[in-house]
Amino acid sequence: MDVLCAEGIGIEFGGVIALSDVEFKVSRGEVVGLIGPNGAGKTTMLNVISGISRPSEGRLLFCGAEITGWSPHKIAKLGVARTFQIVQSFTHMTVRENVAVGAMFAGSKAISRSEALDLAEHALQRVGLSGKGGKAPRQLTLSDRKRLELARAIAMEPQLLLLDEVMAGLNHSEIDAVIDLIRQLNASGLTILMVEHVMKAIMAVCHRIIVLQFGHKIADEAPEKVVSDPKVISAYLGDRFAKRHRAHNVATECPP
Amino acid sequence: MTGNWGGIKYRRSAATIARALPWIGCTLLVVALGATAFLVNNYWLHVITSIYMYAIVALALNVIVGYAGYHAFGNSVFFGIGAYTVGVAMNLGLPFTATLPVAIAAPALAAAVLGWPFLRLKGHYFAIATLALNMAMLDLIINVGGVTGGAAGLPLPLSKMSPEVLYRMIYFVMLGSMILATGVLFWLSRSRLGYALRALRDSELGAEVMGINTTRAKIAAWTISAALTGLAGGIWAYWITFLEPSSAFDIGISVKGYIMMLMGGMGTVAGPLLGSAFLETFATLIWGEFPKIHFLILGVLIIVVVMVIPEGIIYYVRRLVGVEK
Repeated sequence: MDVLCAEGIGIEFGGVIALSDVEFKVSRGEVVGLIGPNGAGKTTMLNVISGISRPSEGRLLFCGAEITGWSPHKIAKLGVARTFQIVQSFTHMTVRENVAVGAMFAGSKAISRSEALDLAEHALQRVGLSGKGGKAPRQLTLSDRKRLELARAIAMEPQLLLLDEVMAGLNHSEIDAVIDLIRQLNASGLTILMVEHVMKAIMAVCHRIIVLQFGHKIADEAPEKVVSDPKVISAYLGDRFAKRHRAHNVATECPP
Repeated sequence: MTGNWGGIKYRRSAATIARALPWIGCTLLVVALGATAFLVNNYWLHVITSIYMYAIVALALNVIVGYAGYHAFGNSVFFGIGAYTVGVAMNLGLPFTATLPVAIAAPALAAAVLGWPFLRLKGHYFAIATLALNMAMLDLIINVGGVTGGAAGLPLPLSKMSPEVLYRMIYFVMLGSMILATGVLFWLSRSRLGYALRALRDSELGAEVMGINTTRAKIAAWTISAALTGLAGGIWAYWITFLEPSSAFDIGISVKGYIMMLMGGMGTVAGPLLGSAFLETFATLIWGEFPKIHFLILGVLIIVVVMVIPEGIIYYVRRLVGVEK
């Protein structure tokens, strides 16, 4: 069953073609990575899926139903949650209230304030922010603010989670913690589409990787194939990464 | 053992009393304000009535500005619409009390219809558009003439009540409306709509992708704001009994309400109440003492308050009482 199906998506911003004839599917339970050089159209793709940008061409299907051109709040209610690269927290609300908004509005049925706050506490626990619900978002570290973005998204109890560079700016141990978190979320049945530059994370969690360049899809295959794909290497990864990756694989496959 | 039980019982009843305390306080305050009508002279009756009126205007502004973050400088347009609604309806023969629901409904309808195009504008563009709306309405009233009286103004039917009774009646209607407006704000502070507005004030994009229909929430906020402002304008119309376009659509009304809201504390329920009580009392005292330079002193006061206590008086009251938030 396809959770998401993009058919021939194209979008243009004042003569600049941001996406052109992009086609892909995301199946239930999958973690799909979306990579590519800066300006390839990764975030634009997420914006199209979440309804922030309206595609000029193509169709978008969510669980078989067409959602092309729907407004963001409708798509959110349908079960698509997302995080932003530049965190969009509500600065005058507490961390708990920030998360409660997701529980309060994204669900199909209206729930009370106290129910929403309870659900928020649960989401905060899942991302490892329990005990920080009473703080203001600006009192959190960058890593915790990224966790807050995640908590806000999962409180919406989505079917599809779109992640836009949740690892950017985090150190190695923080990245490992977020990788664990993404794995846990996926294990609990959540389908994930993630834009990411940290290849270590992409390789660790993704079942499949889609590569964009100048708005075109240039690859859509298993992680191991992507890293050895000459097109992807020349467009994004570079020779050094390919060599290092090959050396690393040889080292792990044939221990001395 | 029994002592323990007694202790729990005592503590529970203490908690009940603590929870009831704000309500008891509010009730006593309302009773005191009601009694005030019979204790003060006509001059202070007028001053306190206008405190109530500005409190409604400031509370109404707080809905669209404090909660939704849309700076409706020209909200006085709804004051004018409310005032003219009462004026026209009373001249058509309706009694004052029957015109008040119309004074709520007409501006609310205007905001609901105009909200869709206006609230697409962001920041100062929205603020300027509301100012322009106020000017446009002013010109419309002048040029339409007919039932509105046009530039000549619109006299309202005189009441059969004696001034003593009439002004006390106005006092109580204004007080009741202020309590209603406070109730609306109190409801908003804990409602889903309140959450939606606070969320979209901080990040409209963030609110949208979390399932909030921001367009609908903003229009709802402006509609509520317009309804309350219109109510204040409607009562004011009967109070002064003669409407002039330039005094009904006076930008000064919303500017003053704005200052009171900022002074008291934006985005809170009690802030606009405190702000209007403080500024109107202060302005009245200055008016009496320094007739030539009262605007100067008022201006300096506003600058000092905004620079020294940008969070508003409510912040310091809360700190004093010990309920920090």
